Amino acid sequence: MTRGDWLVVVTVIAAALLLAPQAGAIVAPYGGSVVLRGPEGVTTVTVMQSGRYVVPGRRGDVVFAVEEGLVSAVSAECPDQICVHSGAAAPGRPIICAPSGVSATMLPGRAEGLDAVSR
Amino acid sequence: MRYRADHRSAAYLAPVALLLSVAVILGYVESVVLPPLPVPGLRLGLANIAVVVALATFGLRAAVIVSLGRVFLIALALGTLGGPTFVLSLGGALAALALMAVLSRAGSTFSVVGWSVAGSAAHVSAQLAVAVLIVGSNSPLLLMPVALGLSVPLGLAVGHIARLLLSRIPDWSLSAAGR
Repeated sequence: MTRGDWLVVVTVIAAALLLAPQAGAIVAPYGGSVVLRGPEGVTTVTVMQSGRYVVPGRRGDVVFAVEEGLVSAVSAECPDQICVHSGAAAPGRPIICAPSGVSATMLPGRAEGLDAVSR
Repeated sequence: MRYRADHRSAAYLAPVALLLSVAVILGYVESVVLPPLPVPGLRLGLANIAVVVALATFGLRAAVIVSLGRVFLIALALGTLGGPTFVLSLGGALAALALMAVLSRAGSTFSVVGWSVAGSAAHVSAQLAVAVLIVGSNSPLLLMPVALGLSVPLGLAVGHIARLLLSRIPDWSLSAAGR
């Protein structure tokens, strides 16, 4: 590998490290919720609301399951099924079904209770 | 070493068509057979081996034929032509091609390994940017740090395979395709 190659490698790794905190800041803190977004609108559910949520997409419905605080895509009608194989969503790791234009973004949890009281 | 070729000669068209078919097969196998990586949408990028080899041996025109031809043919095979998956692939391929072409013009400063890593990073970045437009939300950008981080080992692997292949292609076969 040439020096130029190493420069490319270091630049990409540096970009990844620099973007890591920025990516987390894209989503405003909001306790323990999941934003289900589709072409027809946005729905926010808390991870405590177990159940199945159908989000209509451009290429059929995408079904998300919320169970025991975890959110995952259980079925989709797109050919790749990437979202179904994505596993559970986590803060910073959304589930995206690009062909259907559907995503599930888990928002970072906020500590319960008060941090401080001021007068 | 890059060869000047008559773009209408069979000696040029045959190896470029061969590289295109290799890219299509690798891309199709990756889409259909291999299990997806943990990061949504991220793939090994095996088809980029053929693109890098085409760029190194026959130049940008051949690389464009192999890269964009692969995107169109795989979309035809999978029935996704014109759909969001196709737009994602096209965006990634164009970005990777553009960046690799720029680096390839810098002489010996960058080797095919560097092209490959840059192409891999450009590919995932462009795909996530296109996904933002398709999904209508910034959430795909959350994957950017992980995707960029993984693009480095994947790009290195593809680049080393391409370099190995290039070292095994006899000069006489390439010179027959050009001049």
